[in-house]
Amino acid sequence: MEFKYIGKDILRPDATAKITGKAKFLADLKLPGMLHCAILRPTVAHAKIVSIDTSEAEKCPGVVKVVTAQGQNYRYGDNIRDFTPMAGDRVRHIGEAVAAVIADSAHHAREAVKKIKPVYEPLPVYVDARDALKPDAVLIHPDSGDFWHLPGLGPKAGTNIANYYKLVKGDVKKGFADAEVTVEGEFNYPFGSCSAIEPHGAIAWFHEDGLIEIWSSSICPFVIRDEVARVYDRPISDVRVHIPEVGGCFGYKSDITVEQTIAFIASFVPGRPVKWVATRKEDLVSTLMGHGIRTKMKLGAKKDGTLTAIQATLYHSTGAYADTGIHVCIGATHNCTGPYEFPNCFMESYLTYTNTPPIGAFRGYGHQEGQFGVERLMDMLARKLKMSPFALREKNYLGEGKTTSLGEKLWKTNGDVRACVANVKKAVFDSPKPKEDEQFYYGRGFVAVMKSPKGAPFSSKGCYLKMNSDGSVCINMGGAEVGQGLRNVVRLVAAEALKIPPERIRVYTEIDTQFSPWEWQTIGSMFTTQGGRAIVRAAEKAIAILKRTAGQVLKCDEDMLDYDGEFVFLKSDPGVRVEVPRLIHGYITGDGITIGEVVQTTSDCRLPRYSGLDPETGQGSAGVEYTFGAQACDIRIEKATGKVLIDHFASSFDVGRVIQPKQIRGQIVGGVMIAIGSTLHEELKFDKDGKCLNPFFGRYRFPTIKDRPAKQTVVCVETPAVVGPFGARGIGEHPLVGVAPCILNAIQDAIGVEFTELPVTPDKVKKALEGR
Amino acid sequence: MAEKINLTVNGVPRTVEIEGWERLIDVLRDKLDLTGAKRGCDDATCGACTVVLNGEAVQSCITGLAKYKDGNVVTIEGLSGGVGKLHPIQQALVDAGAVQCGYCTPGIVLRLYALFGKKPDATDDEIVDALEIHLCRCTGYEAIFEGAKLARGYLKKAAKA
Ligand code: FES
Ligand code: FES
Repeated sequence: MEFKYIGKDILRPDATAKITGKAKFLADLKLPGMLHCAILRPTVAHAKIVSIDTSEAEKCPGVVKVVTAQGQNYRYGDNIRDFTPMAGDRVRHIGEAVAAVIADSAHHAREAVKKIKPVYEPLPVYVDARDALKPDAVLIHPDSGDFWHLPGLGPKAGTNIANYYKLVKGDVKKGFADAEVTVEGEFNYPFGSCSAIEPHGAIAWFHEDGLIEIWSSSICPFVIRDEVARVYDRPISDVRVHIPEVGGCFGYKSDITVEQTIAFIASFVPGRPVKWVATRKEDLVSTLMGHGIRTKMKLGAKKDGTLTAIQATLYHSTGAYADTGIHVCIGATHNCTGPYEFPNCFMESYLTYTNTPPIGAFRGYGHQEGQFGVERLMDMLARKLKMSPFALREKNYLGEGKTTSLGEKLWKTNGDVRACVANVKKAVFDSPKPKEDEQFYYGRGFVAVMKSPKGAPFSSKGCYLKMNSDGSVCINMGGAEVGQGLRNVVRLVAAEALKIPPERIRVYTEIDTQFSPWEWQTIGSMFTTQGGRAIVRAAEKAIAILKRTAGQVLKCDEDMLDYDGEFVFLKSDPGVRVEVPRLIHGYITGDGITIGEVVQTTSDCRLPRYSGLDPETGQGSAGVEYTFGAQACDIRIEKATGKVLIDHFASSFDVGRVIQPKQIRGQIVGGVMIAIGSTLHEELKFDKDGKCLNPFFGRYRFPTIKDRPAKQTVVCVETPAVVGPFGARGIGEHPLVGVAPCILNAIQDAIGVEFTELPVTPDKVKKALEGR
Repeated sequence: MAEKINLTVNGVPRTVEIEGWERLIDVLRDKLDLTGAKRGCDDATCGACTVVLNGEAVQSCITGLAKYKDGNVVTIEGLSGGVGKLHPIQQALVDAGAVQCGYCTPGIVLRLYALFGKKPDATDDEIVDALEIHLCRCTGYEAIFEGAKLARGYLKKAAKA
């Protein structure tokens, strides 16, 4: 297929505003009469709140109100309603909101907050799911059995289990009985932070006329809107949420995180907007963290390498609230097979309340944690079978006609993992590996990966398209631009579908639930797929209107007409035509009467036949649009320091169709870097009392320009998908999925040490080298 | 205690009333409405707030009164010259695809502005050293590094013209 616009690099619509410093982020917003707030965080991670003395704080300069939640106990959440906006009778993690000061400036609010005096009665602290699951553990939510939750999910009353998920496919006992070789291991993906450089923040404003207005650095305005409306008992139409530019997301600005807290605080000063921007420390431990998943996994195979069974148990230390972690955990569980067909599966996960900040989405949404284990074990299995890691995997790939753990049969249009593998093999393995020298050991590793959308059956994206009288077009959508470049995708897909140059299309900047079409949330790397399809549908509707009016003008049936972006014309005689601009607001006929419909359309897109999961087997069609890929790397390990240096990292994904080559590369290279951080450097550490030991960039080891791989290779495979526009798939989260096992497989290759816990820091490598 | 101070910002002399605790970032963002200086950490560990003070790139979140009083500040708002006229460094970063979320971007532009202002021939290693303080979560740094090298070339071309 020949494309006129997609596949070409054009200037991002947001680049100029960002590079000139004019783009407005949450912290840059000022509203009339705006107040500021600061929030008190506890000094203990689990305690009953005995009392909170606010009298000193109230006397401080500039203070308008001091807020506590004592005596209040409302809950929110859209999976399990277990979140509280502010601690009421007890605190459950170190980043929680205990009280807040509203003042005329952020400085005054912060000064006054120091004067609040809470008294706590400490309770036992659980940082690790395995401790919280012990039979004698104190309950973090004694009332968890009363929480509202979606059907089929939810806490087990009387325990710290927030959800138990089980997936059964085939007969795992038989699968292991049939196996001639087994491998097993335990793998840990510790706590981390998405750490966008823009900290999270929100503004809330309870207007006198009943409107509640919220601004947030979020990617889910409509979820915020609906939940705030529910809590404050307003019609949904009375809550209006705005999303300005978002300075990076990577997962943790999804769901509702800080907005309910700021709305709760602002509800004490009706008529005044109240603003809060997280400090870096708050961004790390008072929003949502990532990962916290420990996996025990076992694989069985025949001697020829054919896989017979997988068994996995995941322990998710999901933090004090589980609403935002539950689907990460479920996704990690059913996607932990990686891109392989296992005829027999038994996977289970314990989503567990702990006294740590809640876990939420982290770019990859459970896939990197789940597939960390399987990709390490596949290499171990290959060694045991004396097969090459390529040959072993080759025998077992998912693809057309194969079934996933969920029981979904895959289509050809789900993509081609083998083509991706061939690309990274060529990039890395086809040249000779350097030999060990004075300074370094050298190794190389390889993985194959699979990514599902992990969405919801009702997840949809909408598009409002408006043609203007000169033929230019305005498009509004509900997809949040967080840097991934989705507005450029919108522009290019619309240009292609409408056959007009991208420069004639202006896309939205801020999202405003009053004016933007409904979208569930911008998550799951699904905007290009679903949003793109919605654009194509809106464009088709617009073209149909043009043809309808043109049919009246040219006095023929619509299906006799064609459209080329400039004219609607008779197929059989293109000279018989009418210019598009003359049709857009209706056509003015010779006698001065206007006929025809105004060209403005709406559309949406859901994934076809996406379903919920069966409560007994944990299966269902909860993927639909899968993406496959492969990654490989060349590393060196510095003997003196144990430092792992990445010489070359290669990624290949079946993206269906390349819309923007430069942006795809940017997404993949950037995504790989985040996961290199998780693999080699980053961990949010908590002591046994639940205190975070490194909630600052100075001690949370964030990758810098010096940590980047010397070279990255990116190769795209294009097997067109069914839903996405022109066959395109999303690529946002995929680059992270295989990075950790890929590097760890390479470390094994270099020094023969099997690491199973992240991050693999230089001291751990050095220790391992000494211990060999 | 509030006090009145003078400083020059993007070539314009300004007088502002400030509190002694206020850092340069507060003056720029809150008093002068120059919100291009971004706050990412507030403790000199991310680089997002970088501006140029008396020819040096500084992290405005830790730049106190004694340093910025009577100073000459260049912010991101002072670099471009109107529609279609980006500064060569800005143009280079845009051309390299180095702008994703854009939150780290102004600081990086100004770091390079100070670097190339002093060393038009800065080597690749010097560029990397200068940018090490700047955290970027989006790009993986590849496009930033490419953009910086491109900027070095654009500036030289502009100097010759
Ligand atoms: S805000 Fe100044 S260095 Fe991060
Ligand atoms: S572009 Fe987003 S932090 Fe650098």
